[in-house]
Amino acid sequence: MILLVAILAGLAAGLFLALIQKRSWTVPPLKQAWLVVVAFIPQFINSYLPATRGRLSNDWAAAGLIFSQILLLVFCWFNRQVPGVWLLALGLVCNMVVIALNGGFMPISPQTAGRLAAPDILARIPIGERFGYKDILLLPDQTRLAWLSDILLPPRGFPYQVAFSPGDVCIAAGAFWCLASQGKTPDTNRSERLKGT
Amino acid sequence: MKNQLAKLFMLSQKVNRQHIQVVFMLLTLVLFVLGASAPDDAGVLPRR
Repeated sequence: MILLVAILAGLAAGLFLALIQKRSWTVPPLKQAWLVVVAFIPQFINSYLPATRGRLSNDWAAAGLIFSQILLLVFCWFNRQVPGVWLLALGLVCNMVVIALNGGFMPISPQTAGRLAAPDILARIPIGERFGYKDILLLPDQTRLAWLSDILLPPRGFPYQVAFSPGDVCIAAGAFWCLASQGKTPDTNRSERLKGT
Repeated sequence: MKNQLAKLFMLSQKVNRQHIQVVFMLLTLVLFVLGASAPDDAGVLPRR
C-alpha cells in the first residue's frame, strides 16, 4: 500500500515535471519485464490467490520468496541504466539478505507487531511463527541484522498502521525516482537542453 | 448503437503505442514493488 503510493506520487511528479518543462512524459525503458511477472508468481500463490493464500508450508513459502527476489535482482541488472533502479536494487538486496538470514521470512519483533495486531491474537502466536504472509515473529536478540528488518512504523494515530523495513524505504524511493525522472538519465536531460539552445 | 460503436472505434485509435507502454511499465513497477518489498500490516490477522 505505502509502496503503491510511492508509485502514484512518482507518476504525478513525473507528469508535473513534464508539464512545467513543456514536453511529453516518457516511459522509462524497462527491459526483460517478463522476469518481474515470473518472479511475482510464487508470491501471488503464497500471498494473494485466495485458494492458496497462507496454505503453503513454511519451506515452500520461504523458497518462493527467495526465488522471487533473485529473479527481481536479475531484472535490476538488466535495467541498471534506468534512473532509480540502483535504489530499487539496494532495497531489494537489503530485504533479501535479512530474509535469507532469518529463515526465509522478514523478521518482525513482538513490540512492532503489537502495533498491528490485537494483543490477544499476538499472544497466541509463538516466537518463530509466521506473522502475516512474509513476516516471522522474532525477538530482536534472535534476529540477524535486526536493523534491516520490519522495524519502522508510521506515527501513532496514523490511520493505516504498517511495519516496514529500511529496504522498503529504498524501494519506495527508487520507484518514485524511476517515474519522476521520466526515464531519462541526467546526461540525456543535459543533451536535450543543449539541443534546445 | 452504430454511433456508440463509432465512438468506441475513435477511442481505440487514440490509444497509441505509448499509452500501452505506460500501462505495461506501471504494471511491471507495481509487481516489482509488491514482490521486492515486505511491509506487514497484519492483513491476515484481526487488526488492533
